[in-house]
This record gives sequence, C-alpha cells and structure tokens, in this order.
Amino acid sequence: MKKSITITYIFLILLTVVSGIISGVINKNISFIILLLSALKFIGVSFYFMDLKKAHTFWKSIIIGYVIALIIIVLMI
Amino acid sequence: MKQEPINYRNIYYPPGGILMWIIVFLELITFGMAVVAMVYCGKQEPEIFHESRLLLNPVYGIINTILLITSGFCMAISVHYLKINTLQKSKVLLLATMLFGMLFLIVKTFEYNEKINLGLDINHDLFFTFYWLLTLFHVIHVIVGLVILGSVYFGLRKEKTNIEDVEASATFWHMCDLIWLLIFPVIYLFF
Repeated sequence: MKKSITITYIFLILLTVVSGIISGVINKNISFIILLLSALKFIGVSFYFMDLKKAHTFWKSIIIGYVIALIIIVLMI
Repeated sequence: MKQEPINYRNIYYPPGGILMWIIVFLELITFGMAVVAMVYCGKQEPEIFHESRLLLNPVYGIINTILLITSGFCMAISVHYLKINTLQKSKVLLLATMLFGMLFLIVKTFEYNEKINLGLDINHDLFFTFYWLLTLFHVIHVIVGLVILGSVYFGLRKEKTNIEDVEASATFWHMCDLIWLLIFPVIYLFF
C-alpha cells in the first residue's frame, strides 16, 4: 500500500511539472491536455491517497463521472 | 489503540465515512460550478482573461500544487502507519502534513501580497474576481483542515482518537487537494 501511494505521489509531481511546462505551448489542443492531466491527478488523489480504490463501485463511478462531466462541460463552453 | 476492521466494499462505508463523502461531493459540485462559471465568463471576454492570467505567476501555482500533493502524500502514509499500529511514525507524518499545509499558506500569503501591491484586487476585473473568490474559499478550507488535523494530532498523542476519526480528517484534507486540482489549471494555465 505504501509503495502504491509513493508511486502515485511521484506520478502526481511529474504531471504537475508537465502541466506547467506545456501551458506555455501555443496549440489549440493545449486546454484539453491541461484538463486531461488535471483529471488524472484528481483520480490519483481520490483513488490512492483517499483509498477510494477499496470502496464500493458506486463511489468510484460517481467520482469518475464527476470528472468526466466537468471536462465535457468545460470543453463544450 | 482499538481497531475494528471496516468493510470498505459496503456502499455505506467508504474510506473516511459516508457523511464526509457527502461533504466532499457537495464541495466538489460547488467549486465545479464556480469553475464552469469562470470558463464561461472567460469565453465571453477572452482577451481580458488571457491578459489577466499572464499577470499571475504560474510558478506560485505549481509550487503550491507540489506542497499540497506532498502534504496529501504524508497524510496518506500517516493513515497507513496508523492502520499497522505504528503510532509514532503516524504522528510524525501528521506533523509533516500540517507543515506542508502551512507552507502552502505562506506561499499563498506572498502571492496575495504581491497582487495587492500591484493593485490586482478583487475589483480589478472579472478574472481577478474569480481568482480571489476561488482561491480564498480554498484557503479557508485549508485553514479549517489544519485545525482539524491539529485536533487529531493531540487526540493521537492522548490516544483518544480512533482510526475512523483520522480517516475522516484525512478525507477532508485530501478534499482540499482535490479542490486545488480543479481550480489550479483553470486559474493559472487555462486562459
């Protein structure tokens, strides 16, 4: 468990640094990529730091559904 | 410390407790709606939002993200040690969690001070109205989280706190991470 939390932590730090670097790139898809990286971080924190991976499927589905819905709404605006 | 196994697979017992998760979702929906409102307003006035976003220093945002993630990591490991009855390590990591939370607030204070000195207050434009409201509401959550973690730490020292209390407090603290992960890209990187 400690190992999976540590791997998640390294992964989250890498994604944060990558988000910061690519935000300076001028590309029409950059907003989508930034949102996607944030969604991955969100899932990492909720599933591994908050231990949601052990929870009932309902809780896992609702958090993934929330992230997907938010990204779709933001991209649709 | 007395421990009873919890069946997290039961829909009524998510890690941290069902009541805490109801709070988490209410908070996420509230901040999510604010993020959607900010993006909507940004699409109405793209030049203003882009120019205002360039007035922010993303390095502050990235440092704060790393501090909060590190704090969340310490909290998760602290809960892990508590579950395997390693109380001393759990307490040390709980202190580290609070330390990184306080560092987050210190960096935020520097950033706010810089913005105020530049005249970028809540009335500067719509982007900064969202910036101040979203980040200040988040800061309030971090302060409340630190108070909760402080009480948990003293509870652990006196051995009056059980694992459920620690898990619920950890869930609240991780919620601060989740909220920050929502608002950080939209404020510092998106426009």
